[in-house]
Amino acid sequence: MEGPDEIIHQSMRLRIAASLNALPSGELLEFGKLKSMLGATDGNMATHLGALEKAGYIAVEKDFVGKKPRTRVSLTRVGRKAFERHVSYLKDLLEGGQ
Amino acid sequence: MNVTREEAAQALADIDKASDRVFKLKGYHHGAPFFIVWGFVWLIANSVSQFRPEYQRWVWPAAVGAGFVISMVIGIAQSRKSPAGTQAAALDRRVGSRIGMTSGVMMAFIATMILIAQPSSADEGNAMVSIFFPFMYMAAGIWAGWRLFAIGLVTAIAIIVGFFWMREYFDIWMGVFGGGSLIAGGIWLRTA
Repeated sequence: MEGPDEIIHQSMRLRIAASLNALPSGELLEFGKLKSMLGATDGNMATHLGALEKAGYIAVEKDFVGKKPRTRVSLTRVGRKAFERHVSYLKDLLEGGQ
Repeated sequence: MNVTREEAAQALADIDKASDRVFKLKGYHHGAPFFIVWGFVWLIANSVSQFRPEYQRWVWPAAVGAGFVISMVIGIAQSRKSPAGTQAAALDRRVGSRIGMTSGVMMAFIATMILIAQPSSADEGNAMVSIFFPFMYMAAGIWAGWRLFAIGLVTAIAIIVGFFWMREYFDIWMGVFGGGSLIAGGIWLRTA
């Protein structure tokens, strides 16, 4: 059995990855929407998104809508695979024991 | 890094919860264009009935027919959005089939209500059909959010006021408040 993914396993990062994984490949979710869905603060969310981006698990896209800045994120192919591997690890752990 | 069975169970529960939230959000976004389309059907058909009553007989079937065609096109486009075999595609199918079934139940309820109550005038029939939607918003709003409940409450009051005290302008009143409530509800869902 493969080990846990230490980057994804952290509670907030796990929920971020789970939310993005439920979207079609490449579909972007707005920072504010994700933040309110997960009940996180700006700072907390930025820190965890930074960690996921550094690992190559998410892509962050920044642009402007009119004069308003907009930040959107999506799960990368690498991130999706890492998330699926981690979920398999968790399921195996529950079913088989460690 | 060691993960206990309890932590694994908690993590899987968190994943389910997060996926459910996205499922709900996608449901809102899937439903929004249907609300807006049917709002315009209501608005246009009622406005024509008010200002050009000679066209009332054909405007309703034409507007409702157009509503069905546009709804089908939107439904097909939405179901093709997510790549086949992905979790998102499975979610799309679940949401799409539930919207379809809910619409069917709503239409069947309205048709049954009209058959049983046998409204004695076009105004009565119009009011009976129109009043169904705001009460549905209120019921849904108890679960989905206070804004939907508020839209339903305001619209229900407006329709009751229109039926009892604004009969001279009843069709346009219904178009604005019946259709308007659907359009406002759709926009609200889009911003969720």
